[in-house]
Amino acid sequence: MTGDHSFRGVLVDDLRVQFGTVEAVAGVDLRVDQGQAMALLGRNGAGKSTTMRVLAGVVPPSGGYAVVGGHDVREESLDAKRVVGYCPDVGGLVPRATPWEHLQLNARLRGLVDWEARGRALLERFDLGDVAHRVTAGFSHGMSRRLSVVLAALHEPAVLLLDEPFDGVDPVGVEATFEVIQDARAGGAAVIVSTHLRDLAVEVCSEVAVLRGGTRMATISSGFMAGDEGARAYRALLAG
Amino acid sequence: MAALTVLAALAPAWIHLDRDLAPLLPAGLAALVVVGVGGAVAGAGGRELLARDPASIHPISPMTDHLGALLLAPLNTGWLIQTWALLGLSASIAGPGRLLAAQAVTLAWILAATTLGQAVAWAVECVRRGPRGLAIVRGVVGGLVALLALAGALPEGRRLLVGGPAGAVADVVASPRGLPVALALVLLVGAAVGWTVIGGRFAQLASRRMPRDEGRLETRTHEARPDPRSDLAVLRRIDRASVWRSVPLRRGTWLLAIAPGAVALAGGLDWSGLVLLPGLVASGCVLLFGVNLWCLDGRGMLWRETLPVAPRTVLLARACVLGEVLLGAGLVTVVLGAVRAGVPSFAELAGVVLALLVVVGQAVSAGLRWSAARPHAVDLRSARATPAPPLVMVGYSLRLAMATTFTSLLLGALAAGGRTDLLLAATAAFLLVSGLRVARAVRRWEDPVRRAVVVAVVAA
Repeated sequence: MTGDHSFRGVLVDDLRVQFGTVEAVAGVDLRVDQGQAMALLGRNGAGKSTTMRVLAGVVPPSGGYAVVGGHDVREESLDAKRVVGYCPDVGGLVPRATPWEHLQLNARLRGLVDWEARGRALLERFDLGDVAHRVTAGFSHGMSRRLSVVLAALHEPAVLLLDEPFDGVDPVGVEATFEVIQDARAGGAAVIVSTHLRDLAVEVCSEVAVLRGGTRMATISSGFMAGDEGARAYRALLAG
Repeated sequence: MAALTVLAALAPAWIHLDRDLAPLLPAGLAALVVVGVGGAVAGAGGRELLARDPASIHPISPMTDHLGALLLAPLNTGWLIQTWALLGLSASIAGPGRLLAAQAVTLAWILAATTLGQAVAWAVECVRRGPRGLAIVRGVVGGLVALLALAGALPEGRRLLVGGPAGAVADVVASPRGLPVALALVLLVGAAVGWTVIGGRFAQLASRRMPRDEGRLETRTHEARPDPRSDLAVLRRIDRASVWRSVPLRRGTWLLAIAPGAVALAGGLDWSGLVLLPGLVASGCVLLFGVNLWCLDGRGMLWRETLPVAPRTVLLARACVLGEVLLGAGLVTVVLGAVRAGVPSFAELAGVVLALLVVVGQAVSAGLRWSAARPHAVDLRSARATPAPPLVMVGYSLRLAMATTFTSLLLGALAAGGRTDLLLAATAAFLLVSGLRVARAVRRWEDPVRRAVVVAVVAA
């Protein structure tokens, strides 16, 4: 498949990632249009985080094709990184830098101007305003998760990738993350949320893709994955 | 290492030297105590068997931690080199006939000095973690360093430093006879047992107190500064913060900047000796974080790798920060050492300055290579943390020490011979090699697969 560079969402075709003899991603296909949000669900080791890392430009694909915001992640790596906002699944923060310094680094490297007001507003929304100038090494897990979402959202990216954004986060943080996702969709961004929390995923996303063993098992409308019926359907997909 | 230790302890006994080395022995014995105490105090209780966070879920008692630190104490180049030199000196002085007795006493001294260092380190850590502990420790350590420098500068002070227990043990090693040897062994081994028990007690006390220095840095507020003017500047700023806000890195850098300079000041080292110090400082400082440069980002490396910036800019920023730390520490050492070194000739001054530049280049290029080739997931929050496992650190430090010492000796010899032309040529050659190695490291860092491996390890 050749890339459709006019497409500004996320397009993944037969994506493969090999770590030594282990194939972490074995032919994933995804399509997320602008203004849409897709949840990635699946068991541990299903390939969700690896897929997200490929889209974020951290892990080069071993095969297949991935386009974000009209840029091939392999061929136009820097351009792809410019249009992506990524919240990693673990950590994601420089331990001895402050949140404000993270924002400064992000803003400078992305060429943002007059970003300070939005930065402050995001920190306040995620209840991090009081610790904006404290080093992140002393942050709790939930605080780190919230700040990672702030960093992913600062530049209003065309593609927002949130990997486990709700993990260990309090209700205020979950609500703020919902708002960020809704704002991004309203602004025309393509959003992918990888999580184990199905209830939250179906609440904020329009579609759900279930991965198993490094491949996509199904893509289903969120409505079908909600409630007890959805839970049964999800378990059936995981069991194969 | 075991083979080298045996070699150092035996071979010199059969080498005949015209020079009488016995007068050097008391200073060698005293120096081992200084190295043992200084290293353990700077390391906030010595090396960890397990890193702090992974260890916290295991039932490891403070006494086990203390004994583990004692066990790992030899995995330190400063300690190793000092010990090898001391064993070699003892063997040379004692000769083949009395080698066994002499080396038994020397080994007992090494044991006692190491356990003393560990006990003092835990005692200092207890105070440091107490009320106003930081200020007290800084005041006392600063005062002691000044006192040592002063004592070393005066003949009476020098006699005092190398007299006492070091002098008495040196006498026994120089002429080991039955009763004095037995007495020395009983006293030194007894002292080692005593220091071990006392150290364990202090370790228990320290474990009940919060590490204030680390807590202070982690809760400190840093006011926002204006936006940097370039990508390189913003990267350098955040990398600098990662170094100077880390307790082990800050403490280690200051120790390595000041301690060799203070020793040079005390010993009245001349310019031909000063030329060796930048290599010592650079190879020590690069071991603080330079051999695993990417660990400064910790798990944040995963996010940093998604930022739209050329990989070479990221690498150059890191190299600049490493270079400035090494240069700064080396300069402090040289300035301290220069106070009593007299007025240098142009060649001597050039020798020291160029040696500093060359060894910094060597250390930076080695750090860049090793950081990409063998990354480790390390959290540099604990004052006892090191950027790589202890055995790996020994390998790195020996390789660096050999390279920088050889380079410094060569440049020093050219400077002493007044051959400024050859000095400049050798400097240019060394810098060219380092430059080529840095360029190769930059090219390798531009490979996304290689970077992904480093990110996966460091952010694990």
